Amino acid sequence: MNLIINYAQILPSMSATEQPFSIYQFFSQLKLHHVSMVAQGLISQDILSLIALSLRRRPDNEVVARRLFAIVVELSQNIFHYSAIKEFSVKDQRDTGVGIVAVGESKTHYLVASGNVAHAENAAYVAKQCDYINTLDSEELRQYYREQRRKPAKVGSVGGSIGLIEVARKSGEPIHYEIIPLEDGNVFLIFVAKVSKAISYAD
Amino acid sequence: MENLFIKADTFIPEINFNAQTGELNISGESYHEYTLEFYQPVFNWLTEYLKTPGRNIVLNFCMSYYNTSTSRRFLEMFDMLEEYQEQGKGIVTVNWYYSPEDVDMKESGEEYAEDVNLNFNLIALVK
Repeated sequence: MNLIINYAQILPSMSATEQPFSIYQFFSQLKLHHVSMVAQGLISQDILSLIALSLRRRPDNEVVARRLFAIVVELSQNIFHYSAIKEFSVKDQRDTGVGIVAVGESKTHYLVASGNVAHAENAAYVAKQCDYINTLDSEELRQYYREQRRKPAKVGSVGGSIGLIEVARKSGEPIHYEIIPLEDGNVFLIFVAKVSKAISYAD
Repeated sequence: MENLFIKADTFIPEINFNAQTGELNISGESYHEYTLEFYQPVFNWLTEYLKTPGRNIVLNFCMSYYNTSTSRRFLEMFDMLEEYQEQGKGIVTVNWYYSPEDVDMKESGEEYAEDVNLNFNLIALVK
């Protein structure tokens, strides 16, 4: 798994010298919050396919596992295409975005959280999209998804359209987001989507 | 015309298009990072294939997962086939297969069926 631990790389304001990295603290944090999986860096389709394998092994409900995976893919590919921090991918022969994705759980839900450095104006746009999506019920989401899929993808799109609608549809709950301003004028953009563990096949 | 075959990988589906029988099969998973690039050969093949009228085309989708970017590509494929049929060039049938417990895949098929004007069969796979 792509478990790299250099926080300073994704959060420029948190310098490694001020706060030395402790893998024990990192481990304890993950354990405390029931985070079972973290991928950081260049989250490529190869890594996603490993996450898929791992997710399918865990939740005993196949529908829940599929929905969780769909959310992981959409949030990760958002990062891949739109993160403000890029790394050169040898495989793709081009720059690709880096960020972090984590899967955790509470008693009632699985949670997928994603984070990446974004340009402030892009984050503001996606936040607006997210606010709108969060007002829609499942039938409205279904209509909005189909409507957006019909439209050609925007040039230089920041992704907030169809991918986030899919996340909302698979989650069945509002998408939580957070925008943390960074010293360099960029922001750290966080999404958290929940999937209830109690979804039945009839839903 | 040559057949089109692309071997499946974990994040790309198997593409098996038979030019002689008109049977076009897509199966597996699709979450390639650059779906436009991955599906380009598929669109090129289809464009060439649809130049000849009188074809009886059966498109079989047997997907277990695809991302939203792929979902756009599928719609574009359906649009090409719809145009072929509406111009009176031939007949197109879509068979959309899904696992009986995969309610989301069934719903995805229903949505395409509503969005395109093609003969669309939703078929539950027998386990």
